[in-house]
Amino acid sequence: MSRGALGVAVVVLVLTVATPAAAIPAFARKYQTSCLTCHTVYPKLNPFGEAFRRNGYRFPGTDSDYIKAEQIAMGQEANKKTFPKTAWPDSLLAAIPISVGANGQAMIVPSSTSSAGEAAKAVDGSTAHFSLQNLVAEAHLWGGAAFDDTITSWFELTFSSGGVDVEHAQLLFNDIVGPKHLFNVIVGHGFPNVTQYGPHSSYLADQLVTVVPVTAIFWGDPDPWTLVDNYTGLELNGVIAGRVDYAVGLNAGKIAHGLAPTDNFYGRVGFKIGGMRLDGEDSSGADPDRPWAETALGIYGFGYQSNSRFDTTAGAPVASDTANTYGVGGRGQLGSAELNVGWYTESHGHGTDTGGPVNAKVLFGELSYVVFPWMVPAVRVETLWVTPEGGTTVRNLHIQPGIAFLIRPNIKLVAVFDYESAHGFVSTTGGPLTPGPQAWQGGASSWGPIQIAPPSSGENTRSEFESIGLYLAWAM
Amino acid sequence: MTTTLRTLTLAALGTASVALAADGTITGKVDATPAKYLEETVVYLKGAKAPGKAPETKSMDQKAMTFVPHILVVSQGDTVNFLNHDNVVHNVYSPDNEGYNLGSFKQDEQRSYKFQKEGAYTQLCSLHPEMLAFIFVAPGPYAAAVDKKGNFTIAHVPPGTYQLAVWNSHLKASDKPVTVAPGQTVTENLSLKR
Repeated sequence: MSRGALGVAVVVLVLTVATPAAAIPAFARKYQTSCLTCHTVYPKLNPFGEAFRRNGYRFPGTDSDYIKAEQIAMGQEANKKTFPKTAWPDSLLAAIPISVGANGQAMIVPSSTSSAGEAAKAVDGSTAHFSLQNLVAEAHLWGGAAFDDTITSWFELTFSSGGVDVEHAQLLFNDIVGPKHLFNVIVGHGFPNVTQYGPHSSYLADQLVTVVPVTAIFWGDPDPWTLVDNYTGLELNGVIAGRVDYAVGLNAGKIAHGLAPTDNFYGRVGFKIGGMRLDGEDSSGADPDRPWAETALGIYGFGYQSNSRFDTTAGAPVASDTANTYGVGGRGQLGSAELNVGWYTESHGHGTDTGGPVNAKVLFGELSYVVFPWMVPAVRVETLWVTPEGGTTVRNLHIQPGIAFLIRPNIKLVAVFDYESAHGFVSTTGGPLTPGPQAWQGGASSWGPIQIAPPSSGENTRSEFESIGLYLAWAM
Repeated sequence: MTTTLRTLTLAALGTASVALAADGTITGKVDATPAKYLEETVVYLKGAKAPGKAPETKSMDQKAMTFVPHILVVSQGDTVNFLNHDNVVHNVYSPDNEGYNLGSFKQDEQRSYKFQKEGAYTQLCSLHPEMLAFIFVAPGPYAAAVDKKGNFTIAHVPPGTYQLAVWNSHLKASDKPVTVAPGQTVTENLSLKR
């Protein structure tokens, strides 16, 4: 494995280490309810949790009715009658709405001849068949609170060996005009809502959507734009009549340095048939005995244009790249069984190190079954096709069977087996990376150094049972 | 005291005690969803006045940056003295109904206000926006705030048929007809919700 490829692998690993944030113990304290009100194996949300997230982290009905934690009034409801002579009232939770947690993974590498085994040998001459090194890869500080029945906030600070990152810092202005849930605005730093579901809606991977860091693969961009990541911007979203939802947004995207125009746009529309309403109102469709279960179908489609400006290497001019992405996705649920699927095509205008276009197509799916509220077996499949202009299509496949356990409602353990197969390998010629075939960066590789390297024999196909990831996370 | 005066006095007392004995009592319990608003509840007889009842003067204090009591029930025409036993300046105002602002006043000072209209008045302090209380002005003396468990008792109700109504700071309940028989206690329960 070349040093450049190893560097990219490390970059992608850092980018894809799991960040289990969807809802947090701060909400459990606020409402004095169990994590299981909103989650199955956290951060995976059940239908009510999805509605809570979609509503701007508010309960259906009147959110304050459900708040049991002590609050300090910053004014009274009656002050609305005396505005503007008095400030518009809100309230603070008496306890700081903060949660903490940590996560990471132990890795089992089955063979010294696997890509991970080879990579380890290349670095220090030994093969790490079992490593606890990254068992605590990240620590988190989460915050979530309501200022009143319409304005809420969401905050996440992540600490890792790479430093401290503000992953989320959002103000959510809900029900700003018209019928309830129809028009909401999110301001700040966080995930664009390009799917109908929470970004971490996976039992086995960090994110529901498999992403491809194209400019990292071809350019060595240390902070590549990907379809699902944290960006700073504005989003207007809403739910229409409980069954149709939409989001349109504008964000700054990935800017290496300097002040650049905010010119990343996206939009999504979707619908849900059956089960609980998207906004959770009316509580119809809920199964009181199995809060995760429903019989429903949700479908969505999205489009996204990003304009990234990035450094390719120290001292080099800033490169820019426009990517246009279109896709569809859906979730079908039959009782405790759930299938999530998605497909998109992502076309970069300046994707390769020679300035040529690159098209990436991604297909992902995850089938799961909640056997018990604390045990969910699942299998995840991710397939990528990457085609640089004038080059051949490179194909990669991940098959990841696994099982997620709740040791306690706020402690989880996930075991994921990863099989990876690649046909063809991305090759660079003139960029900052070492020329030649690069290690494959597969999918939402959340479970350690999942990467498949070009075989030394020069063949362009390689398949292997790559690793077993044992993922541990807790939050409190 | 002359014999005639003594006779008249006894007669009057006798009439009053007969009248009290003939009055009934309404008691019951209110439940609320969500329960956290239960304590901000008053049960009263809609439109039931007491002709000839002399206006009363009641008090609402400000202690440790808190209005005491949190709910004060008065009758139309009653006066409330607002006290200040904190060593900080307080203000009393309400934006409800006709609205009033009694200004700011220091420790051991007081301000008064006569409530001429029925209804609930939110009590606020412009200097300390977290302070909150309610004064509920009932049409007559037939009103009671619930206790922490939601229990209420309205005593000395003349026999008759009334509409039993409930006020809550956040929740609602439908009125209930209630008939009070002489000397009897009638029990009615009410449910509050959004």
